Amino acid sequence: MAWDLIFWVLCFFINIALLASSFYQLLSLSDLEADHLNPFEAATRINSIVLPEFLLQGFFCLSFLLTWHWFMFISTLPITVYHLMLYSNRKHLLDVTEIFRDLNTEKKYRFVKLAVYLLLFTVVLFRLLSASIFFFFAWKFEELDIRTSLFY
Amino acid sequence: MRPSSTPFASAPPTVRPFSSSGPVAGSESSNFRPTPPGAPSTLTPFSAVGPSPPSRFIDPSVPSPSVKSVPPSGVPYQRFPTPPFPSAAQTPPNRAPPVGQPPFQPPASHVSVPPPSFRPQTQVPPVPMGSLPQNANFPEPPSDPSLSGPRPNFQPPFPGYPSKQPAVSQAPSPFSAQQGSFMAPPAPPSPFPIQQVSYGPPPPVANNLGYQSRDQMQHPGSAPPIGGVQSLTEDFSSLSVASMPGSIEPGLDYRTLPRPLDGDEVPSSFLEMYPMNCDPRYLRLSTSAIPNSQSLVSRWHLPLGAVVCPLAEAPEGEEVPVINFASTGIIRCRRCRTYVNPYVTFTDAGRKWRCNICSLLNDVPGEYFANLDATGRRVDLDQRPELIKGSVEFVASTEYMVRPPMPPLYFFLIDVSISAVRSGMIGVVAQTIRSCLDELPGFPRTQIGFITYDSTIHFYNMKSSLTQPQMMVVSDLDDIFVPLPDDLLVNLSESRNVVETFLDSLPSMFQDNVNVESAFGSALKAAFLVMSQLGGKLLIFQNSLPSLGVGRLKLRGDDLRVYGTDKEHILRIPEDPFYKQMAADLTKYQIGVNVYAFSDKYTDIASLGTLAKYTGGQVYYYPSFQSDIHGEKLRHELARDLTRETAWEAVMRIRCGKGIRFSSYHGNFMLRSTDLLALPAVDCDKAYAMQLSLEETLLTTQTVYFQVALLYTASCGERRIRVHTAAAPVVTDLGEMYRQADTGAIVSLFCRLAIEKTLTSKLEDARNSLQLRIVKALREYRNLYAVQHRLGARLIYPESLKFLCLYGLALSKSVPLKGGYADAQLDERCAAGFTMMALPVKKLLKLLYPSLTRIDEYLLKPSAPADDFKNIMKRLPLVAESLDSRGLYIYDDGFRFVIWFGRMLSPDIAKNLLGPDFAAELSRVSLTEQDNEMSRRLMKILKKLRESDPSYYQLPYLVRQDGWYHWLCRLDNANTPTSPAKLMIYRSSLLNVVNSSAPADESSPGVKTTTGKKGFARLGLLSMVVASISCLDVGQRQKTLKTGSA
Repeated sequence: MAWDLIFWVLCFFINIALLASSFYQLLSLSDLEADHLNPFEAATRINSIVLPEFLLQGFFCLSFLLTWHWFMFISTLPITVYHLMLYSNRKHLLDVTEIFRDLNTEKKYRFVKLAVYLLLFTVVLFRLLSASIFFFFAWKFEELDIRTSLFY
Repeated sequence: MRPSSTPFASAPPTVRPFSSSGPVAGSESSNFRPTPPGAPSTLTPFSAVGPSPPSRFIDPSVPSPSVKSVPPSGVPYQRFPTPPFPSAAQTPPNRAPPVGQPPFQPPASHVSVPPPSFRPQTQVPPVPMGSLPQNANFPEPPSDPSLSGPRPNFQPPFPGYPSKQPAVSQAPSPFSAQQGSFMAPPAPPSPFPIQQVSYGPPPPVANNLGYQSRDQMQHPGSAPPIGGVQSLTEDFSSLSVASMPGSIEPGLDYRTLPRPLDGDEVPSSFLEMYPMNCDPRYLRLSTSAIPNSQSLVSRWHLPLGAVVCPLAEAPEGEEVPVINFASTGIIRCRRCRTYVNPYVTFTDAGRKWRCNICSLLNDVPGEYFANLDATGRRVDLDQRPELIKGSVEFVASTEYMVRPPMPPLYFFLIDVSISAVRSGMIGVVAQTIRSCLDELPGFPRTQIGFITYDSTIHFYNMKSSLTQPQMMVVSDLDDIFVPLPDDLLVNLSESRNVVETFLDSLPSMFQDNVNVESAFGSALKAAFLVMSQLGGKLLIFQNSLPSLGVGRLKLRGDDLRVYGTDKEHILRIPEDPFYKQMAADLTKYQIGVNVYAFSDKYTDIASLGTLAKYTGGQVYYYPSFQSDIHGEKLRHELARDLTRETAWEAVMRIRCGKGIRFSSYHGNFMLRSTDLLALPAVDCDKAYAMQLSLEETLLTTQTVYFQVALLYTASCGERRIRVHTAAAPVVTDLGEMYRQADTGAIVSLFCRLAIEKTLTSKLEDARNSLQLRIVKALREYRNLYAVQHRLGARLIYPESLKFLCLYGLALSKSVPLKGGYADAQLDERCAAGFTMMALPVKKLLKLLYPSLTRIDEYLLKPSAPADDFKNIMKRLPLVAESLDSRGLYIYDDGFRFVIWFGRMLSPDIAKNLLGPDFAAELSRVSLTEQDNEMSRRLMKILKKLRESDPSYYQLPYLVRQDGWYHWLCRLDNANTPTSPAKLMIYRSSLLNVVNSSAPADESSPGVKTTTGKKGFARLGLLSMVVASISCLDVGQRQKTLKTGSA
């Protein structure tokens, strides 16, 4: 029981971190577009967190597999595969010299990622709540025994 | 724009018709000025009679010359057919003609009103209109913005065209009948509706223009139906009938196909409509009629954009004026930061000015204030070049600097490994640099420094107090540091002696070097560390593949198997991210890189060139460099690189009016922000292209303005802003867009797009997409007119795009795009790609369609005055018939000369030119001046040709006819026999002949001359066939589709 809760708390924080990184990248890109940031800085900023994000996401996905959370594993798998693909093609880092040409696709890609992370976030949040409710109020359930109260 | 009530040049003329236009159109129309006194007299003929022969068609606003030329003994006039334009164009566009002008004036002023002239709704009184369409040949002169109508009048007397005369002289008769009624009403005659076109009988007018005559003389009777250079906006009939090659059936006479024998033709209508625009050498739009809606853009299948060459060399007397607003500060729009330009309007008695780009009302600073005269023009207009000239240069104050202006700085990174020593490159480089020391720009402040490298990096301390440079060797490649950071980069004037000593000893210093390694990456980093304080220009001389330290490259080579697969493009992009990263860092610190590569083996130009690409530099490639053969070329090109006027730490931005936006940029530079080009070092040989997109679905303005601003540090240490302003009309008609198209700019944009595409996909795809776009565009144009003209199986295209197919094909056969594995070496391909990405329009077109001239007659002539050089140098079409086996020809593509010796060329000539070894294999003979008149003359010709195009040095290559055929046929077999691209095979064979240093199989007489001849004759068939056939194909397919669905 406690392990379950701890696991979901961990997932919760990982997910928040992923969300934050996506958001930050997106923010840097729009700053770049609005000329508040020069391409060199934007590229360094974004490239510095790309790999950590990939690793974190990989860990996130893997942990679901190891804990036998099939649904969560399947829903995080596409992004992981995409990340792997980017990495193996050496396209995961922003190319500072062509940054403006790729700007729109990069933004779109990050928007999609942000949306997926948000979806995951709601699921994780729900699971976290249910786990914590289950953990903290387990004794009540034992006493009340929902099934019996339902039937009687 | 001027206040709308003041067509500022046309209004005054009501009183004194001509003198007042002086300040405005003065510069252009100066050759015309002498005539004004005659002006008043013309009033009568015009308003009253309108009788005497063709002269009436001359634009009324320039009546005097026309009147004088009335008897079409116009011979003296034919040589300036253009004068009418500038003065007519003095009226700024889209101004309604003021009331109360003499009757002849309105048409004149309206002539230059481009947008209205093509709108269907007209204010023309119906009466004169009704009868007008009959004057078939001259339906539009008054409406034609380019005023090309008048030209025919000069033509008849042209000696070479007696036959054309009748046609021209017939034409006027219907027109003169209504002339009076037509001219008299002040109503704008502009909108002679497009339909008239269909009445046009095939007017011979279009192809009897004097300029073309010399080509035609070359092929008597072939008369390529090339319209006048400036008659792009001729009426449609002449387009669709006369100047169309019309049907291009398989057996068509190739000679009727248009060929750009005059080189680059800049459409002049743009300048005529807006005389205050900057010269086209600085800014060229792919069409000078901007579409007003998205739907129009989508039907214009060609690139929509501009090619900018901000520092183009101006001819003597047309230099860009430098203006210093010392105390006022540079006048700019508050909101959009547009610089003050000729198109801003002053209002409120001169206290406010309206920005032409964002139409915001700005205050005029006190010091800049001047009263307005009655017409709303500033009284001090003629003292303000920024208000009358399209190109000006402002001296920028300290607010335009982030640091004190940098001194010109040259840093040399020289490979001294064994291959460099053997090729003799080091010697040539050292000598050239030494000889240029005096001419380096920015004399007292110029800085210079050197690093040499093989497997170690050698720094040189050149402190002025030393008598000899000190060499320091760093062999730790992984952790580069700079010993003595202060003395590696020295002031040239202070350390002159040390630098000279160094350069003198450099070749001998390494002559026994046997090191084969090249620690290029580390050396580059070291140079970067040294230069990062100041920025400047870094010249890299690389002779082998970087093999040590960071940025070492693999021999990934040119793998045949990769071609045609999805991995093909990877060969053309840098292998190691180090190069891109380095390029970005270099740009950031204002360092521009020029790469000189010399190797005979694979050097991965794709990676090395990246450095030049993103720093606004250039790649010079000398495959298999040998100092005794290529030395002169290197010497010249390096000297030019060092001494040409360079703009340092520059940024460039192009602004345009509301509703449109520049969406993508193409060329050698890096974008600093969405629309700011960072150009660490830029010079006159660099051009940049950009594409436009519409932001709004519908443009409501009549005119769009473009402003290019280049902020840079001049070599003298002054911060300057060079501003080029141009205006273009907005149109609602697709046909008009096509008519105003500029082939040069379109080809330049296509070239860049295609080369960029080769970096992400296959060569095949890049060529296909290029072809597809041209075909789509031509089909669209065809659809516009095909119905009412029943064109059948003909290809039609607008006069302005007559060379598009040819150039398109030439482009797909150019080195970066042509063929596959076997057709060009990878390095060569990449180097050519980098070069073509930066070439200005003119040079690109010359490279695509080189000039061919026959010179033996000139050489044989007993004595020829020097000044008829122009006459000798008439370009021949690149077809088999141009080459006579008794002749001697020069082929010049701007990068090299090929001197072609006919088989039956008299041996005397060969002997005189080549000296004793004239019978030897020509590829081993080098052309040197012999002690006889003929050889001297040839040298003089070559020298003149080189002077006309100094950016590169053209090495002469000698080719004899037989080898020629041989090569040709080999290529012919290599390509499919039905390939329509014979012309280009011709071209590429030339280049291949040039490149093959050892034509070993020369002796094999496998190819008979006859087959060669045959193959040669087929060369004539031109590109157009492809496009036309595919046009037809598509049409047919559509038809079959339709019937199928029905």
